[in-house]
Amino acid sequence: MSKWLRENLWRHTFATSMCIFSLFPLYLVVLSSFKSGGSLQLDSFVPRELSWENYKMLFSSPKIPFLSWVKNSLIISSVVAISSVVVGAASAFAFSRLKFKGKKFGIQLLLLVQMFPAVLALSAVYVIMERVYSFAPSIGLGSQAGLILVYLGGSMGVNIWLLKGFVDSIPAELDEAAKIDGASPVQTYWLIFIPLATPVLAVVCLLSFIGTFNEFIVARLFLVEMQGRTVAVGLQQFIGGQYASNWGAFAAGSILASIPIVIIFLSLQKYIVNGLTAGSVKG
Amino acid sequence: MSSIFRGKFATGIKIAILAITTAILSLLAQSAFASGESAIGAFLVFAIVALNFTYFTKFSIPLKFFVPGILFFIAFVIAPIVFTVVMSVFNYQTGNYISKPASIEQVLILGVEPDANQTTFDLVSGKNSNGDYAILVSDIANQRFFISTQDSITDVAAAQLTINEYGVATTAPGFTKISDDELAANDAYSKIRYKYQDSYYVKIEGQGVGAVFRQKIAYDAKTDTMKNIITGQTYVNNGKGNFALEGSPETVLTPGWRTPIWFENYTKLVTDSRFRTPLIKVFIWTVVFAGLTVLSTFSFGLLLALALNRKMRGRRIYRSILILPYAMPSIMSILIWGGMFDSEFGAINNILNTHIAWFSSATFARAAVLLVNLWLGFPYFYLICSGSLQAIPSELLEAAAIDGANPRQIFRQITLPLLLQILSPLLIASFAYNFNNFNLIYLLTGGGPRNSLDGEVAGATDILISYTYQIAFGRGMNDFGLASAISVIIFLLVASISFYGLRKSKVMETFG
Repeated sequence: MSKWLRENLWRHTFATSMCIFSLFPLYLVVLSSFKSGGSLQLDSFVPRELSWENYKMLFSSPKIPFLSWVKNSLIISSVVAISSVVVGAASAFAFSRLKFKGKKFGIQLLLLVQMFPAVLALSAVYVIMERVYSFAPSIGLGSQAGLILVYLGGSMGVNIWLLKGFVDSIPAELDEAAKIDGASPVQTYWLIFIPLATPVLAVVCLLSFIGTFNEFIVARLFLVEMQGRTVAVGLQQFIGGQYASNWGAFAAGSILASIPIVIIFLSLQKYIVNGLTAGSVKG
Repeated sequence: MSSIFRGKFATGIKIAILAITTAILSLLAQSAFASGESAIGAFLVFAIVALNFTYFTKFSIPLKFFVPGILFFIAFVIAPIVFTVVMSVFNYQTGNYISKPASIEQVLILGVEPDANQTTFDLVSGKNSNGDYAILVSDIANQRFFISTQDSITDVAAAQLTINEYGVATTAPGFTKISDDELAANDAYSKIRYKYQDSYYVKIEGQGVGAVFRQKIAYDAKTDTMKNIITGQTYVNNGKGNFALEGSPETVLTPGWRTPIWFENYTKLVTDSRFRTPLIKVFIWTVVFAGLTVLSTFSFGLLLALALNRKMRGRRIYRSILILPYAMPSIMSILIWGGMFDSEFGAINNILNTHIAWFSSATFARAAVLLVNLWLGFPYFYLICSGSLQAIPSELLEAAAIDGANPRQIFRQITLPLLLQILSPLLIASFAYNFNNFNLIYLLTGGGPRNSLDGEVAGATDILISYTYQIAFGRGMNDFGLASAISVIIFLLVASISFYGLRKSKVMETFG
């Protein structure tokens, strides 16, 4: 046995088997999406038919407003991602660079609150938004604006924490130089910090976008109307809801909905991994 | 450039944004107060004051960065948590869901009894000559006809009436019948107690039918007791949200109301075996689940990182494929795995050529949960580990090699301890995350299998958070008080685990 084999055989074997493990469900989904039947069954490893039925159904069936689900998801996720970074970046900057009383307490509170099982505070959020609905239906329960508010509020803790991790990694020398030159904190923020941090803010923005796109429980509780649902909630209906188990359509829909997310993720993996080690764990 | 952030232009924009925000918030506050939501209104007023004060004075510069974030944080994070903590000392569950006045009202509405014969009448709803809500009742058995309102009863001679083939009077002089549609749209008709003889009254029970009742229960506000007027029994406020029969505390009037019971929800969890046993069972599985998940995802991730930790052919392709599970939206992946484990049509049984009902057996369901979580989680540790392996100084490894250590010794005595030291905060964070991994359990197994017929709430794969969700929002009995108490306990557990982890890491050092 050659030296190459001895050193590399186990590496390739192990990596290949893990790759098969990783790919198997994904391959199955792709396969099912081109099958006319409605299950995640594996008839053969090689596709026997190539039917576009499931994809056509998503775009043509009047009962399935797939496009408006995608649109809703995109709008909600973008608004939440951008606003939460705009609001969060300012707080993160203050936590990272300014000195003030109660800073330690603030950071600890931020951390502590993240430990609270958010799913369980959900009933309280529900009650609050139900009451908001009673006087301002357009931002209360059942409205997309209301959902955006809840996401924005709920993501505040995590986002500030994540942003702070990123901000800490930006060298402080430039801000300090600006400070010596007589710039106020507000000027330092807008003129020095924001231009420097733009790439980092973009990454957090995309992470927040992915996170919101992925959210299911709150969206399902909030959005009752068929037209107003997000992709995750809408697609779940194919397998757990009123359409009975239609795995083909679910597979086609989730492939279409996942592609942009996977592309974003793969192209940013380096930054995301850095952010994850600094901040928290992806859901 | 700097002039944009200084001077009149910047001030103008600042004032414009603040003015618009203030206007919107004021409008909202106004309508909040108008519809009686004073807590929300008060918060909005607080937000207006805080915003204007912060941005128009030089009180605090850091505050200028914080205020918007803080306001969102209070409204959607702190307030719900406080609400949950408060709920944990309340008796707040199915049967004790409403406020006390509403409960008293309901008890009085339900506290009636039919007369001895359970008499029912045919009747017609409408209005009498004064325009009051009235019914035209036909007591066919006694050939008696009368028009009854809330406070008057007038007999009408049969000769004056139109009587249909069933012997039911349909019109009477001065009585205006209303249409069925109108009757259905206005529930005032069915709520009224129309006068009958003695203390009895007629209540509309359905379309064209009424029954005779009398009030059995009366409320005495002075002593805060309910009294059965007929038997003379007294029901006293038991301090736990119900009126209970004197001398027989188990007999309570329903519905009760939500009320503080202080630590009873907590003590119940410790002392009452009906709650303690499932809680302990679920807790053990939660720890096992989170522990095994961290162990399996970390070991597979580390092994992969080690396997691919050198220049070799195909490394980039391997890497791209291996992080796919992590890049996929996790919701979709979990649902897909759920389909694959389907006992009849799923791909897993297909491949293994078995007929296992995965989600009906506790052992198989648990194995499935762990397998899916391994799939979801190993790429994370693979990425982290391969990054950290680069960070271990190569001099250390070279020195060990020169000293004659074999690769296995180097790994066990140098690489692994160093890695564990670097990664311990992340391992702990991952444990804490999986401790509360609601989506996985909820979407994959729903916490099951559970024996719902026996009233079992805790399923075999339920972790604390999904178990609590079942208690609060599941089918059947919903107990928000108990669920909140468990949430608070989970919170304390996870917070202490995480703080232990963080204290060991460098994160805390930067706090000062």
